[in-house]
Amino acid sequence: MKRKLTCLLAALGVLMITGTAMAHFMMVYTPEIALHEGQDLDMRIVFTHPAEAGHTMDMGGVQEFYVVKQRGDAAPKKVDLMSYVKEITWKNPESSNKAFTAVIPKKEVRSMGDYVFVMKPGYYHEDEEGIYMQQITKLIVNVGGLPGNWAEPVGLPCEIVPLIKPYGIWTGNVFKAQVLSEGKPVAGAEVEVEYMSHMPDLKSNSLPKKSSVEYPHDSLITQTIFTDADGYITFGVPKAGWWGFAALGVGPETQHDGKEMSQDAVIWIKAVDMK
Amino acid sequence: MKKLMIVLTLASLLAFAGQAFAHSPLMSCFDNGDGTVTCEGGFSDGSSASGVKIHVTDGGGKSLIETNMNQDSEVTFKKPDGAYMVIFDGGAGHTVEVNGADIVE
Repeated sequence: MKRKLTCLLAALGVLMITGTAMAHFMMVYTPEIALHEGQDLDMRIVFTHPAEAGHTMDMGGVQEFYVVKQRGDAAPKKVDLMSYVKEITWKNPESSNKAFTAVIPKKEVRSMGDYVFVMKPGYYHEDEEGIYMQQITKLIVNVGGLPGNWAEPVGLPCEIVPLIKPYGIWTGNVFKAQVLSEGKPVAGAEVEVEYMSHMPDLKSNSLPKKSSVEYPHDSLITQTIFTDADGYITFGVPKAGWWGFAALGVGPETQHDGKEMSQDAVIWIKAVDMK
Repeated sequence: MKKLMIVLTLASLLAFAGQAFAHSPLMSCFDNGDGTVTCEGGFSDGSSASGVKIHVTDGGGKSLIETNMNQDSEVTFKKPDGAYMVIFDGGAGHTVEVNGADIVE
């Protein structure tokens, strides 16, 4: 009787953990990524659940924050941005935690071209699963309509490389990208997709409680796509706004501090309605 | 012979039409705050503006500086006193004008 009860409790425990292991999404956010001209970029780095304004997690600091920029076919330039990163407190309706802000001055973003922002956080310990997570995140901004390196791999341990301009997407377009691990395509990688249905308030450093979308089922809060045999995903974009893609466990680092680690690659895109 | 001329004319029209549509010229200028102005150029398909003629004229249209975009599709020149215009001259249909009054740091 005692053994049956223990088994039952264990099973319930597993079910509960599965229910709450919601999509942790690293956000690197700035209000506009298709700019006409250079300007100060107000950016936030937050580890949270953007489709639910849910739990905000301690990402373990920021290890690297830089931009690789290119104007047309000029040589790409890497600029370190760590000096602009400052710690803040992010406040969601039911959860607060450390996050980061970075105001990139116009002088760094004045030229026309592409700006591929890369953020490598520290390690987040997921207590319920007893594993570490690290989501290496890209955000691609364009100034002036002159393209550059948006479709080029940066050379990260793991990354998602777009084949369709991530800042030039109409609602209804198909977004296609390739998942790479140490520069090589990853077949059968699990990619989670989430819509930012709670928009960041940059004055209060928070996500609002109200969602702009109704989610009739959990499988629609965090959608899942698997990469094909050549590492590609395709996704039809149904709504204007921000979409995040997270390729889980595709990075080469699988251990940290003696525990299992999920090193993920994240990219954010923004779609605009045709009027 | 006449037929050949017609075909060749049509073919050349198509060829040029294709090129004219493929890329539009872009130029962005900044006041460097040290008495110089830098302009960067390019085309919307990312192709280089290296060698493109740059005319800097005064408020009346008189030529002040004649120069070219360098290998990096950039040019830096001494900021003129008074009103001025910067003209990116990539040929017919490929020009961009930037008013000096809009060139800021």
